[in-house]
Amino acid sequence: MKFRLMCQSLLSFVLLTAFATSTARAQVDFGDHRSETLVTKAWNALGSGDLATTLIYVNKCISMYEAEAVKMQAAWPSLPANEPKEETFKRWALNDVGTAYFIKGEVLLKQGDTAGARAAFEACATKFPMSRCWDPKGWFWGPGDAAKQKAVELGFDAQ
Amino acid sequence: MRNKSIASAVLLSAAIAATALSEPDPDPSMESAAAPARPVITLATNAQGQWNFYLDGEPFPLRGVGGASAPGLLEKLKEAGGNCVRTWGIETLAEDMGDGERFIDRAHRLGIKVVPGIWVEHERHGFDYGDEDMIRKQRERVLAGIRQYRDHPAIIAWCIGNEMEGPASPTGSIPVFREVEELVKRVKQEDSSRPVMSIIAFNPGKISNVMAHCPSIDILGVNSYGAAAGAGPALKAAGWTKPFAVTEFGVRGFWEVATTPWGAPLEPTSHEKARTYYATHTLVTELNEGRELCLGTFAFLWGWKQEKTATWFGMFLPTLEKLPSVDAMAKVWTGAWPENRCPTIHAFTSEAYAATVAPGRIVEVQAEVSDANGDAMTFDWQVLEESRAQSEGGDAEESPSVYPVRFIRDRDGLCTFISPDKPGDYRLFLVVRDGRGGAATANFPFHVTARTSKP
Repeated sequence: MKFRLMCQSLLSFVLLTAFATSTARAQVDFGDHRSETLVTKAWNALGSGDLATTLIYVNKCISMYEAEAVKMQAAWPSLPANEPKEETFKRWALNDVGTAYFIKGEVLLKQGDTAGARAAFEACATKFPMSRCWDPKGWFWGPGDAAKQKAVELGFDAQ
Repeated sequence: MRNKSIASAVLLSAAIAATALSEPDPDPSMESAAAPARPVITLATNAQGQWNFYLDGEPFPLRGVGGASAPGLLEKLKEAGGNCVRTWGIETLAEDMGDGERFIDRAHRLGIKVVPGIWVEHERHGFDYGDEDMIRKQRERVLAGIRQYRDHPAIIAWCIGNEMEGPASPTGSIPVFREVEELVKRVKQEDSSRPVMSIIAFNPGKISNVMAHCPSIDILGVNSYGAAAGAGPALKAAGWTKPFAVTEFGVRGFWEVATTPWGAPLEPTSHEKARTYYATHTLVTELNEGRELCLGTFAFLWGWKQEKTATWFGMFLPTLEKLPSVDAMAKVWTGAWPENRCPTIHAFTSEAYAATVAPGRIVEVQAEVSDANGDAMTFDWQVLEESRAQSEGGDAEESPSVYPVRFIRDRDGLCTFISPDKPGDYRLFLVVRDGRGGAATANFPFHVTARTSKP
């Protein structure tokens, strides 16, 4: 019964750190404005408990790259099995925008905006189901899959 | 044993494919007036391609649980709208329900169907699949179990083994899969009227080996927690076309959640667990890819057990109060909430939550709790030493000791206590009861540092 839920590890670490730290707001710096940069900065801000800054980074990523992500999703209705890591990374906009929506859902949930969180998770699950996020432990997880579960879980409270 | 076609005309018209099972033989010992009829069991797809159990031609979606072996729990399963229970060992069927009635007879009397598990030994427990004597004895034991119970009308399928291929193995043990295939073939020779399932600890990497080495199994059971909703898509992607059931699922496992810096996992509250039960069952059976292959689910655990904590997996307290995950399953099984709902813990906060505290320090904890029925609630607080068990695959664990901390306030979800003098890892538990059979739980780990002496 010990098949690990791979996608949880990085996220769990970040959320726990966020829980344990203050909510001091850092100065926003979009760096080179690449989607990868924005998502990495969002993870870091979430990890330091700065929910407001996290939202700025994910919203920037979504506004800049959602159109490209939609095109990539349309081109990949399913993913090939055992795909080399480098091939997965080529769908950069799809992966980063899907991840941004997932992070947005987590932030809104922590802020008590359940309806907003559910909308973000549903957007991630329905618009970017093939997004993938690399866990530094050595595997990809699916923000779309995780968001789908989150959205249904939040639906439980509305029952 | 006779083989007869068992699919009714109605069923045949709807079925695209059916697993051929034979009609049950009459059992001379069951021919008395009290002998109940055995249902005709079929596995088939309907016109929409959805796999189903059919009992006497009627669809039987599995609304199941694992456990329920303590007196009173089968009744609570019936009350919640469940229809099926699985066991891990055949010996459970004979357990006394407190009044002399056997587990299997109690289930039958309540109209609950049973999928008996027949234990297949694990290599990690020392079983050698290259040892012919061990193999022979195991085969004899498995078949003896089938012969003992094959005439019982409550049984709808046999389950050969549980995670025997290796819970932590990414691909499963090939010698074990080969022996499972041999066992399944022999079970079918003993009883061809029921489908045969085997259960793996789910990992997509095992599917191809199951397909290659266990072609005779009719149903694949998958045990999965945080990743359970992904079982259908993964099975379908791997080319699995037979039916499957999620045979253990529920709360995310302690290996799947965030941990403290000292490695203590953060257990979800009972309300968070209920969400996961609801979402997983809904995703697997209604929303996700592969749902047409899914016969249903078995929630884990309809009972209680010590595994990392005393409350991680159990859906009940040992005092028989149900927890919110029971209400969640009642909701997905019946479409309605039970009349009496469990209390809900909305928030559980403390400065000591997943934190390090000094010995002998005052610690405050606050629980935001409500009860949908407006019942008066009681709050029980307890500090336990953290379990040091490192068991695998649900192996038995000893319960950790209660640490006698001093509680100096306990009122309406607000608790204040003095942290332990002894350095170490601890966990504070809260149990809320509504006095009408419902309860809720939450806990958090904390670490107590060594006392620093002043110079």
